[in-house]
Amino acid sequence: MNTRRDFLKQLGLASATLPFISNLSAFAASSAATTRKQRLVIMFSPNGTVPWDFWPEKEGRDFDIKPILKPMEAFQDRMLVMHGICDKLQGDGDRHMRGMGCMLTGAELFPGNVQGGSDTPAGWASGISLDQELKNYLQSKEETRTRFGSLEFGVMVPDRADTWTRMSYAGGNRPIAPIDNPYQMFQKLYGQMKDREHLSSVLDDVQEDLQRLSKIIGKEDRQLLDEHTQFVRAMEQQLQQDRSADLDHAMPELEPGIKEENDNIPQITKMQTELLVNSFMNDFARVATFQITNSVGNPKMSWLGIEETHHTLSHEPDSNKEAHEKLTKINTWYSEQLAYLTKRLAETPEPGGEGSMLDNTLILWGNELGQGNSHTLDNIPFVMVGNGLGFDMGRSLKFDKVAHNRLLMSIAHGFGHHVETFGKQEFCEGGALSLT
Amino acid sequence: MFRTSCAAAIVSLLLPHFSSPAFAQADQLQRGAEIYAQKCASCHGATGEGTADNYPEAMFGDKPTIDLTELIATTMPEGEPELCVGDDAQLVAEWMQSAFYSPEAQARINPPKRQLSRLTVAQYRNSVADLVESFTWFNQPNDKDGLTAKYYKSRHFRDKEKAIERLDPTINFNFGEGTPDKDKIPESEEFSIQWEGSVVIDETGWYEFIVKTENGARLFVNDREAALTDAWVKSGDETEYRGSRFLLAGRLYPIRLEWFTFKEKTATIGLWWKTPHGAERPIPARHLSPQNSPEVLVVETPFPPDDRSDGYIRGTSVSREWDEATTFAAIEAADKMQKFYRDVAKLKNDDSPEKRREKLQEFCQTFAYRAFRRPLDDTLKKTYINTHFEDGSDTDTAVKRSLLAILKSPRFLYREVTGEYDLYTRVSRLSFALHDSIPSQNLLKAAEKGWVKDDKPLRDQAWQLVNTYRGQVRLTEFFRTWMNLERLDDLQKDAELYPSFTPELVADLRTSFELLLRDAVTADKDGFRNLVTGRETWMNDRLAEFYQIDPPDGENFKKVGFESEYRAGFVSHPFLLAGFAYRNTSSPIHRGVFLSRGILGRALKPPPDSVSPVAPDLEPDLTTRERTSKQTSPSMCANCHGMINSLGFALEGFDAAGRFRQTEQNKPIDVTGHYRMRSGEVSKFLGATELADFLFQSPETHRSFCRQLFHHMVQQPILAYGPQSIDELATSFAGNEYNMRHLMVEIACRSATHHPEQKQSE
Repeated sequence: MNTRRDFLKQLGLASATLPFISNLSAFAASSAATTRKQRLVIMFSPNGTVPWDFWPEKEGRDFDIKPILKPMEAFQDRMLVMHGICDKLQGDGDRHMRGMGCMLTGAELFPGNVQGGSDTPAGWASGISLDQELKNYLQSKEETRTRFGSLEFGVMVPDRADTWTRMSYAGGNRPIAPIDNPYQMFQKLYGQMKDREHLSSVLDDVQEDLQRLSKIIGKEDRQLLDEHTQFVRAMEQQLQQDRSADLDHAMPELEPGIKEENDNIPQITKMQTELLVNSFMNDFARVATFQITNSVGNPKMSWLGIEETHHTLSHEPDSNKEAHEKLTKINTWYSEQLAYLTKRLAETPEPGGEGSMLDNTLILWGNELGQGNSHTLDNIPFVMVGNGLGFDMGRSLKFDKVAHNRLLMSIAHGFGHHVETFGKQEFCEGGALSLT
Repeated sequence: MFRTSCAAAIVSLLLPHFSSPAFAQADQLQRGAEIYAQKCASCHGATGEGTADNYPEAMFGDKPTIDLTELIATTMPEGEPELCVGDDAQLVAEWMQSAFYSPEAQARINPPKRQLSRLTVAQYRNSVADLVESFTWFNQPNDKDGLTAKYYKSRHFRDKEKAIERLDPTINFNFGEGTPDKDKIPESEEFSIQWEGSVVIDETGWYEFIVKTENGARLFVNDREAALTDAWVKSGDETEYRGSRFLLAGRLYPIRLEWFTFKEKTATIGLWWKTPHGAERPIPARHLSPQNSPEVLVVETPFPPDDRSDGYIRGTSVSREWDEATTFAAIEAADKMQKFYRDVAKLKNDDSPEKRREKLQEFCQTFAYRAFRRPLDDTLKKTYINTHFEDGSDTDTAVKRSLLAILKSPRFLYREVTGEYDLYTRVSRLSFALHDSIPSQNLLKAAEKGWVKDDKPLRDQAWQLVNTYRGQVRLTEFFRTWMNLERLDDLQKDAELYPSFTPELVADLRTSFELLLRDAVTADKDGFRNLVTGRETWMNDRLAEFYQIDPPDGENFKKVGFESEYRAGFVSHPFLLAGFAYRNTSSPIHRGVFLSRGILGRALKPPPDSVSPVAPDLEPDLTTRERTSKQTSPSMCANCHGMINSLGFALEGFDAAGRFRQTEQNKPIDVTGHYRMRSGEVSKFLGATELADFLFQSPETHRSFCRQLFHHMVQQPILAYGPQSIDELATSFAGNEYNMRHLMVEIACRSATHHPEQKQSE
């Protein structure tokens, strides 16, 4: 619903200030590539990881790949696995809430009325999230400005706005809802193009009817209709011109009628991935978040043969081997989604540039917890992949309990945005982590 | 500020009651014509059209013959006024009246015609909303104000935890550390409330809704699923949540406020709003109804404003911007329509894809019938519907394209574009006149069945329309235009002289005035009489304090006597008095222009030179009346100001803020005023009350009211409906005790049955 309103608002505002046509063609424009594009995707999966099946034992290059990261093996030399990064934010809210709300903001939650499973009730995060910070940074400059700046994708995010379902913030107290319906995202991305197709197809008929009426109407009144006909004709011609310009930007085909249901998660994830890659190809945005479910996410991955739900399983003690085998399977499935996205970017040549899109994109995979049963916010399973920011990839890094604010700063710096702190100041001590 | 263009004066026609030409003998007229030809035509042209070198402006207007005579005798020919005086001047004046000067003569020379018109912006928005509504339902306000409130003992709206159900007139509660009811809701740690009903809108525009709470709340307005403001999560210090909706006048919109408190120390909840012209305040009870209503499809796309150069809104021109706006609006409407498919096409869950397609195609056909206001022949059905369903497109694409085509069609966008005149034309005209929108399903049916062939059933239909909330709002909107209310938006006064003339006070003044209008439009009889001469004013405590009367006791507005020995009717309402005034002094000129042009319907040309008023401190010994008289004494000014000032002076008993006064500069206030009617007769009045009585009784007021209301409703020049139209309407208005609804019915039926083409076919 929101995007449609935004879309209309955009149309409305544009029609008040800009000629119709420039509005319709605006999204086809891409800035001249003087420097290479840089992009960021932040992918989220919930409930912590299974540490022993995730963290490499070795440090440095040629590290050992544990089961959960097996799907990513092909990209080992383009990946950083970062152990020892901790979400140190305290204050209100339980850890699932803080883990989610502080993950990209590095800022505490405000006090509020959302009561978690423990701790004091809390509200929204008190600061802007990294993706939105970078969006604002890129949108502020002509050469990196894009149609949307950022896109917020989701998969099966529950239809309620609370601290567990939002990780992206336009500012303190300003959470951004991800779009988890691929058709809605399609409408946001390509709705205008579709509308132009529809319009082209009806304007012919309208003109024909105008001519018919012009013949039967009185002479004095005919002038008004003729004037009107000219406007309609001008619009139709412009639409035709624009249409030829659109051919570079093919719209992805979505399989129709996929309902938002637990069992369709794999299919929806794939559809959203395609839309994400496609939106990058069309340079609609340079920043994207990809939130699969939510903090405390509880899908039942029956397609893996697992009949218990994810969050419920994540509470099982380490000693419950069977549960942890399942949790490893679940996390491996998320890893596969990352691998699919990585592969799609790797096999797509950079439009108008060098190499593949993966060469110019950094993906950060994060989680609200380190591990589910302890609810620890230490050792969040952060993985980065892709060469978008010039980091020295292909390594397993082991930090000594550093605050994740410093990781967020490194990413900002990678875009040339040299923030001195990000989020809560005291956790930025030591500055950005050196990853180059 | 209150000028209109010269063009406005040209078409601002008013039939006079002047009698001289009627009685002037033919030979006298002949003599007048001869003198004119000798002494006037070289500058003014043979029939007053003007000459490029000497006096390019065409001469026409509505001054009485006696005024013209005086003017000629004292000023014409220019430089040698002694050449045409006495009887000669009068003969010239009489001949000019009958040959070209008077509105009647002008109407004879250039007979006004109905012009092809597109839908105005308001008509467009109303029509789209009504197209959807015609497939669903609608509701009207009843005698209950406020919202249905359900109070629960927990934060979940579960029936078994419901503690109280009642009607809350307004929502502005501070429960402190307690609960709404100690017995029924003992625990203050956790409770919740849900308010539901409709919001009642009488003015089109953007409404900002403001939820004020220390706790969690969600507000839904005209959308049952997507919250307008979602503050269910309470976070940090935020206590105010805002969201805006564009709403159309004359309708109810569903509203629901959900609120809860949980573990918070204190509990507060307020539902406020800011109307298009108002200050922020709790939504007043009269704008809330416990009744349910369906969602309304409101097109928000901005449109370029309609032409108003003739003093009324009409759709006689198109522009590129307008065409683009109709395109965006069509896309917006077609998109928003998707949500209504289920209701409008009566879709069912178990419909097969083929069945669904069939139902939607049928819906598109009915939609086109209602949008075009007449049945479609097979060619049109093919153009607008069937092609889209037969070209292999999927169903949703076909529906969308069909809707876009219909909404972009000249048959929807224009009035009477086919030139046909039949019963469908009748019901359309009736509906546009009274509801500013396409005819309802019932009206179309009445046309189809031939029920509105005769005058009586047509009139019955008109009465049904006028007696609805939409009908009331149609009249209210007329008053707003007629009284120039939109120009009084940023009313401000000298802060030193009037420190408490705050935006809140202005908003209260506006509310008080709007309530006066509401009384007028809801009254079964005497609405017009009370509007013009009534002695009571709606006041609240803030207004009472400013205008120094006893507070009416309470924060709500009450209708009280307010200096009723000095004030009568809307012309002495402080909102208008303050509005037609300067920051620090009254303005007899602004008030006089409003009375002469607005109320009495006199044509005024803009002043020949633009002149700023003499500042009061430059003439410290003079009253405003004296200063104004002095400045406008040159004959060039006095020509119009003679009329303007002597009307405005009657309101000199009220200062810049509309406060009553008896002295100015230590001199007693002179409130004598007069008006020379077009017959030449002079009426005198003392102060606002006598002025009000004069206005109510004056045939010129009635004629002007009929003419302007006609233009508001029909959007075509009234003289295109016959030279006697104004007279006949004014007679009917007077003969029906100035019943405004009756007049509206009269106007609507007159326009509906008008068909000059029959008489004038070539």
